[in-house]
Amino acid sequence: MSTGLHLKPDVVEAASTLLGEMKAAASSLSYAALLTDDGFDVARYPVKSDGERFAGMASSMQALGDAVAHELSIGDSEYIIIASGKGHVVQLRVPGQELVLSALFDNDATVGHALAVTRSFAQKAADLLA
Amino acid sequence: MAEHVILFTGPMGAGKTTAIQSLSEIDVVRTEANNSERHIVDKATTTVALDYGEILVGSEEKVRLYGIPGQKRFNFMWTILKKRAKGMILLVNADAPDPLAELTFFLDEFRVLYDRGGVVIGVTRADVMAGPTLAEIYEALERTNPGLVIPVFTVDPRERDQMQNLLLTLVVNIEMRAAFGMPSVAGSR
Repeated sequence: MSTGLHLKPDVVEAASTLLGEMKAAASSLSYAALLTDDGFDVARYPVKSDGERFAGMASSMQALGDAVAHELSIGDSEYIIIASGKGHVVQLRVPGQELVLSALFDNDATVGHALAVTRSFAQKAADLLA
Repeated sequence: MAEHVILFTGPMGAGKTTAIQSLSEIDVVRTEANNSERHIVDKATTTVALDYGEILVGSEEKVRLYGIPGQKRFNFMWTILKKRAKGMILLVNADAPDPLAELTFFLDEFRVLYDRGGVVIGVTRADVMAGPTLAEIYEALERTNPGLVIPVFTVDPRERDQMQNLLLTLVVNIEMRAAFGMPSVAGSR
């Protein structure tokens, strides 16, 4: 029986370090979370924030995105973007893992930049856990 | 065409997704993820947003079937789905650690649906473990929610006929209340 990634201390520590590096690479990043597909918080930036509720919401959103893509026969959902007046949330799956990376950027970042940064760090997370 | 929105609630592993799949006449919209809590409930996947199906009752009444994720960390979805529903099928698995506590918890959480339309309870997995008796369930209901009129069935969510009985009981309940303007809380069972 496999253990959830959120229960593995080495994964949690590596994920926390990675999100710190993500902030260092993108000053416009104001919140980031790595979470399991079924809504458990693995790590977040800032570390002291409460990630449990957001992890649940982000996993629901990911699954709904997949369901919409399936319904419209457009393949798998690659990423989800929520744009608002004060920033944008970019979210995508970590390749090959049952993990989602969700990140909030302020409006200093373009959506394209936010997506590029999030993609890059999702791949780093995949490499780390491979 | 008349429409009803029914919510399937209950703890993880009670059979909500299976019940909707048994009933639905369209491809069910599912939002499943691999289950990280197999040490708690040993099943491969779990619903993380909602299930959605549809069934026609008679020739004119469309019933929209929504299933909630059973874990409390998804309770923001409960709030969203609760708003659009008119009645609830509450499924509780007999082999849960404390089925009566689960039953009263979900009844309290979704009590507004009783007031709005009606509730029917289905006890599942009674073939795996006997679970509480009907008398114990009614005693728990009377103690926690005195005066509520709630039919209780033992069901197998895989069996369409059984789930149809549950659903029709609820729909009739909702329509009867609407037609006669019956109060949400009755004095006798």
